[in-house]
Amino acid sequence: METRRLIYVLTGVAVAIVLLIGVLVVATSGGDDDNGGSASDGNGDESPGPTGPDLPDRVEGELRLFGSDPITLDPACASDAGSAEYIVEIFSGLLGFDQDLNVVPDVAESYDTSPDGTVYTFHLRTNVLFHDASRRVTAGDFKFSIERALHPDTLSTVGEVYLDDIVGAEEYADGAADELTGVKVIDDNTLEITINEPSAFFLYKLTYPTSYVVDQREVRDATCFEGAEWTLNPNGTGPFRLQEWELGQRIELVPNDGYYLEPQPSLAQVTYLLSGGSALTMYENDEIDLTGVGVNDIESIRDPNNELNAEFHQFDSLDVFYVAFNTEEPPFDDVKVRQALAMAIDKDLIANEILAGLVAPATGILPPGMKGYNAGLDGLPYDPDAAAVLLEDAGGPGILEDVVILATGRGASPSDSLEAIVAMWEDNLGVTITIEQQDSGLFFQSVQDHDYQIASLGWIADYPDPQNFLDLKLHSESPINDSQYSNSEVDALLDQARSELDEATRLDLYQQAEKLIVEDAPWIPLTHSKPGILIKPNVKGYETPPFVIENLRYVTIEE
Amino acid sequence: MQGVAGYVIRRLALVPVILLIVSMVTFALGRLAPSDYAEIYAGGRSRPELIERIREQRGLNDPIPQQYVRWLGDFVTGDFGESVIYRGANVEDVIFPRLWVTVQYNAVVLVLTFLIGIPVGTWAALKRGTWLDPLAIGAFLFFASIPVVVSIPLLQWLLAVKLDLLPTSGWEVREVVGIKIGVLSEQAIMPILIMTLPGVAGVARYMRSQVLEVLDQDYVRTARAKGLQDMTVVGRHVVRNALLPIATIMGFELAALLSGSIFIETLMGIPGIGSYAFNSIGSRDYDSIMAIVLIGSAAFMFANLLVDITYGFIDPRVRLSGETALV
Repeated sequence: METRRLIYVLTGVAVAIVLLIGVLVVATSGGDDDNGGSASDGNGDESPGPTGPDLPDRVEGELRLFGSDPITLDPACASDAGSAEYIVEIFSGLLGFDQDLNVVPDVAESYDTSPDGTVYTFHLRTNVLFHDASRRVTAGDFKFSIERALHPDTLSTVGEVYLDDIVGAEEYADGAADELTGVKVIDDNTLEITINEPSAFFLYKLTYPTSYVVDQREVRDATCFEGAEWTLNPNGTGPFRLQEWELGQRIELVPNDGYYLEPQPSLAQVTYLLSGGSALTMYENDEIDLTGVGVNDIESIRDPNNELNAEFHQFDSLDVFYVAFNTEEPPFDDVKVRQALAMAIDKDLIANEILAGLVAPATGILPPGMKGYNAGLDGLPYDPDAAAVLLEDAGGPGILEDVVILATGRGASPSDSLEAIVAMWEDNLGVTITIEQQDSGLFFQSVQDHDYQIASLGWIADYPDPQNFLDLKLHSESPINDSQYSNSEVDALLDQARSELDEATRLDLYQQAEKLIVEDAPWIPLTHSKPGILIKPNVKGYETPPFVIENLRYVTIEE
Repeated sequence: MQGVAGYVIRRLALVPVILLIVSMVTFALGRLAPSDYAEIYAGGRSRPELIERIREQRGLNDPIPQQYVRWLGDFVTGDFGESVIYRGANVEDVIFPRLWVTVQYNAVVLVLTFLIGIPVGTWAALKRGTWLDPLAIGAFLFFASIPVVVSIPLLQWLLAVKLDLLPTSGWEVREVVGIKIGVLSEQAIMPILIMTLPGVAGVARYMRSQVLEVLDQDYVRTARAKGLQDMTVVGRHVVRNALLPIATIMGFELAALLSGSIFIETLMGIPGIGSYAFNSIGSRDYDSIMAIVLIGSAAFMFANLLVDITYGFIDPRVRLSGETALV
């Protein structure tokens, strides 16, 4: 009797499975209303149609991208490129970039600069509406948004970085003042921003999401950590509107019909698939229109016989990857030791062989494509013999015993390029340097606390100005000068460049400073990225900016 | 109290105690580990004062026991905290939809594993001495020997890119009577396949050895001797007695599936709890980690309890002894 019951149970389960498979087949063979894609049969006697299996509905004019969840969609809080990518499409600010990377008015129609270069008067467009079309953007909205980004309770890490030039910013950010005095609402259409001293890059800072306008009616007292529900359905002003954000699954952007700049978006929809998976395989299977290409796949794609070859593009990215020395810590306080280690690295080998040309070897700090980039800067050459002599002068390989190079990592093996560097040091100088990996939070803390000897780091441009690299990372008084580099000559040049308003002179000052820095070798600049991507041939107008700027409204899809 | 009810109640009473211990250990481990989300958020470019301010306002500077009590108070009232990786979302709003995704395909995998493994194992045992036995077991062992990090790209290449039969990854949801079901879509086939095939080997091998043992028993010989048909002997006497120990490994199988979910979800783009766990740990998303660990532990305990009850259903001898074996 008991056996019979067991058999019934098992039969029941089997029937359920068969039913389940049946439903599956029915659902996938085009009978389902909300999923009436192509009719490719599950049993496989028919050859699959040209569109392949039943993929999620393809909306006409839809751009499908591989993405990941943004950490935040709050413009005042976003500090990473992954978040900024969405924010620049959904929100907008006083200024933006055109496709040639010139700063151009955005919500502002124009602006005037006072003769002494400290007062900017922005004249706002009168036709900029929030996405829900309920209200137009006024100067008051900008004052609210800028003050909010700086307010101590907001806990934004970027507020002070991008807005600290404004008069009264420090007092306001410390909670010592109730109002940000440097931002004045003259009338609904006019906003006046006063900065402490003339600055050639302040306008660049205003292109970053930190000062973008948000709708105070929905944001209210939300901080970067609490009350952020509004970002799941934000009321922005940018060319696209967030239609849906299903956490971990997809983000859908649709055009903002009332967008105020030309060209207006022509895509019907932008879908970001957030659930991960293998992007290149998805691209090959026509599930996404665009994907990055990693070192492992580059070889086969470069092969002219590969059909993907024609869809491959490579572009410059404004960044630098480098090895930093803690210059206060012996023996790295000795310039000879730093130079020796720098000259023992064959950057061409790393860039072209190990990283397969997806990066360019770096001679200086500033990347190609950046204003002030010095193509004539040779940097320290790869010269193992000279390097060995320098190290001998400084005390010999013995002084580099028990030295550790710090890198980020989550338990996987260190990057091939880092292992190559350590091997080159071993071969050329006879020193054994150990790689230690820490996870990102701990790593940044160690670097910030100067609790390291050598570290493997990178820096990506926030805005295309040399100040963002040289002044921010290598001025002795900068809070994020990780290598504790201090050279009074360099400081003087950087100080002078800060307020120099003549562009040519200013860039020349930066080049002089860069030259001194490279010779002092607080950093060994290694590579600049040249990321590779695949773009489907029917996707037109997709530019590959070297850093995050709003660009989807220029994209069209040809059928 | 005696019988099944008493047994179940005793076991259930232990659940909160174990969860409390698990939560204390997890909480302490998280807070004692170097670095926190304030640092990760600051990303090395903020003034230390700002990181301090974040810690202060978020209560990360309070003594750990105080933080724990505050967290516990919120948790038991259903407030799991706010996610750091999905800024703006409450943990409970993120975790349950994701848990549902993981449960769906794991349930299908579990059922399929046993549904294939039991007959294969029985069949192999009955064919002992012929080449069919090692062939059947060997074939499934082959699948079990391929790590998912290899089998996933291989199958993606074969089934999606080459043969164009299935999408490579992702998770499509359909509404069936108002419930969001994902296992009915083509996207689910590949992960289910990848997780089922390796599991079958374990079940089949175990089943095979159990059946062989039972086949040697006197009562099987007696059954045969009294002229019962072969099918009846196998169905009524052999399989039934061999199934008992198989129920035990169902609990282990479940644990293996849950940990396997981390890989499969991350590599195949399934928005389940495994990929959520992976991301949370990397970002020191304390509240999310706590919720995932506790829900995972609870699920594990209930699954084992269920196994033990099933045990009683299959074998009345267990039902009567009423031990309080722990997990």
